[in-house]
Amino acid sequence: MPSLIDMRRRIRAVKSTQQITKALKMVAASKLRRAQERVIATRPFAIQAKRVLASISSRVETTTHPLLEQRPGAATGNTLIIVVTSDRGLCGSFNTNIIKAVSAFLRANKGRTMSLGLVGRKSRDLLGRRGFPVRFEYVNLPKVITSADAEAVAAAGIEDFLSGKVDSVHIVYNEFKSVMTQKVVMEQLLPMAPIDAAAENASDAQTEYLYEPSAERIFDILLKRLVEAQVLRALVESNAAFYAAQMTAMDSATRNSSEMLANLTLVMNKIRQAAITREIIEVVSGAQAL
Amino acid sequence: MTVATAVKTGKVVQIIGPVVDIEFADGQLPAIYNAVRVTGDAGGQKVDLIVEVEQHLGENRVRTVAMKPTDGLQRGMTATDEGGPISMPVGPETLGRVLNVLGEPVDFPDQPVLTKQRWPIHRKAPTLEEQSTELKMFETGIKVIDLLEPYVQGGKIGLFGGAGVGKTVIIMELINNIAMKHGGVSVFAGVGERTREGNDLWLEFQESGVIDPHDPSKSRAALVYGQMTEPPGARLRVALSGLTVAEYFRDAESKDVLLFIDNIFRFTQAGSEVSALLGRMPSAVGYQPTLLSEMGELQERITSTRKGSITSVQAIYVPADDYTDPAPATTFAHLDATTNLSRAIAELGIYPAVDPLASTSRILDPRVIGDEHYNVARSVKMLLQRYKDLQDIIAILGIDELSEDDKLTVSRARKIQKFLSQPFFVAEQFTGLKGKYVSIGDTIKGFKEIVDGKHDEIPEQAFYLVGTIEEVLEKAKAQK
Repeated sequence: MPSLIDMRRRIRAVKSTQQITKALKMVAASKLRRAQERVIATRPFAIQAKRVLASISSRVETTTHPLLEQRPGAATGNTLIIVVTSDRGLCGSFNTNIIKAVSAFLRANKGRTMSLGLVGRKSRDLLGRRGFPVRFEYVNLPKVITSADAEAVAAAGIEDFLSGKVDSVHIVYNEFKSVMTQKVVMEQLLPMAPIDAAAENASDAQTEYLYEPSAERIFDILLKRLVEAQVLRALVESNAAFYAAQMTAMDSATRNSSEMLANLTLVMNKIRQAAITREIIEVVSGAQAL
Repeated sequence: MTVATAVKTGKVVQIIGPVVDIEFADGQLPAIYNAVRVTGDAGGQKVDLIVEVEQHLGENRVRTVAMKPTDGLQRGMTATDEGGPISMPVGPETLGRVLNVLGEPVDFPDQPVLTKQRWPIHRKAPTLEEQSTELKMFETGIKVIDLLEPYVQGGKIGLFGGAGVGKTVIIMELINNIAMKHGGVSVFAGVGERTREGNDLWLEFQESGVIDPHDPSKSRAALVYGQMTEPPGARLRVALSGLTVAEYFRDAESKDVLLFIDNIFRFTQAGSEVSALLGRMPSAVGYQPTLLSEMGELQERITSTRKGSITSVQAIYVPADDYTDPAPATTFAHLDATTNLSRAIAELGIYPAVDPLASTSRILDPRVIGDEHYNVARSVKMLLQRYKDLQDIIAILGIDELSEDDKLTVSRARKIQKFLSQPFFVAEQFTGLKGKYVSIGDTIKGFKEIVDGKHDEIPEQAFYLVGTIEEVLEKAKAQK
């Protein structure tokens, strides 16, 4: 049976852990609110941007711009995977799920040359030493994610795709579904897929646009922006999902430690009472024997 | 002791349960530890009782403790000094038989054990220079024991455990694995445990051919029982009786003897009962003040000499799972290897429920067991310790918060934990699995492979209740 001092020490340790998890939970909750607003603000633009892209891609030949080019190796050739994780832990299975999805993808495509773009310190720590070439690392994400971050992340992908180093670029991140659920999403960033063009544009399929100045010039700027918008959305979603995951993880951690404290306190009280009872018996029987 | 010329007789003057006071004539007082026979006739019921002198009270009175129930005893009955301590019949004739504390047959009461010699149960421990210093490992075929707390040939081994965690099962398995293959003789002392278990063992020994009750030359084991039904005096002395039988084989026949004692705590408990009845003031936790010397007198006799060896396996009940209780704590100091059974591990369904971190052995030393065994045992212990340290974190934050390395540690530790379980021959009817004897080489190989990460891909369930690592692989294949 452990001694009373040991039990007290353990209870103190659990208590201080609980304080940390409780504080972290509240911090996450307040940060989550702002992150959630960012997601809601980013979504309409990203969705609209996607629609514009679809509309355009249905009207022009995929050869019009290199970013639209569907190479024969798109599904089989070299690939860059951008893995979006968090910088910090204490968020349950948030990062583990991403790593698992990436690992499964890597295992399923053993024959292809895969390179990794690692966003967030956790992906660097967990995937950086697996033996896959790391194209870039983007750690220490700022508190508020801006389009500058998205640009930096997207740049390498666009560059590699254009130079022909890779035939496709994917992005993996946690989508913010609700406070309770996050969903791991794996999307193809490049080449930009002609998304269900027929359905989306059933209404204005016949409309022809005139480009001014030239289609190329517009596409150069527009398509890059569209890719960045996708990346930005992924980063913002991941950010909000992180705080949600952290909040729920810390909440259950706090509850677990409460439960543990209750058990430990019970054991401690039993030990204390046993010691008291024993001493009383010894004193009483000693007195009686005299 | 036998120089007594005239027979010393006295009369019973007081009876308090198993404690009997007897008054002798002037100058006829029997010595301490002498046996005294009380005879008489109480309303047609014959009384024939052996008591042992414990105290001299003055005024020619002695206080004695009865070895049998004192039913029917009356004041005024005649007491005769036997002239010496209680003695046990010793010799090859004891093999195959079941004796009680006084050396009387229990199995066939009408066929006394007739030996050339009888030895007193109170004897001196071997002296310092007689003791053997050889250190050799003793294979048991039980993985967790051989790997983490290897037993010493000719050493003292303790099996600690609370109520119902499997002490007796392990003793029985050890008897099955060692005594039945062992070339020398075995002595089993049943001290204050269930009579049914004693009976089971006796029948099992006959079935497996270890003993033949009618032919000592075909028997290799002697049994000495003083079970729960006996009065405290018998339970206090039966360990000495069993030991005396074992000592004969060591000293007179220079044999390697296996001595099983189940359960040494009952010896202490009986001592405490007797102590209270004798009117001694209780000491810590109500135990007798003489606990340490009583235990020392018994344990120091269980030792190996240069002539022969006694390898003893003692089951030790731990009251309320409290290892700091004076009874197990006093026994601890005497042992070469301890196997601690833990309720927490039994609750996980892992049998034998040995606590790998609390169990130790004196010979877990590379100079005795070799570097490979030592290193594997150390790394297994380290892995399990790390897992234990991480358990609080896992309980609070969940396993996802662990680093990759720690996750691997946890998964290997869990596999090791499962792999430390083993199906027992004596537990076949409970597990439905055939018992497994695993040689020390296979044990080391299996654990080494898990520690080295060779089996990271195999689900941990495949490691549960199997023998060698090859069986794990087969089981994993079958599950797929």
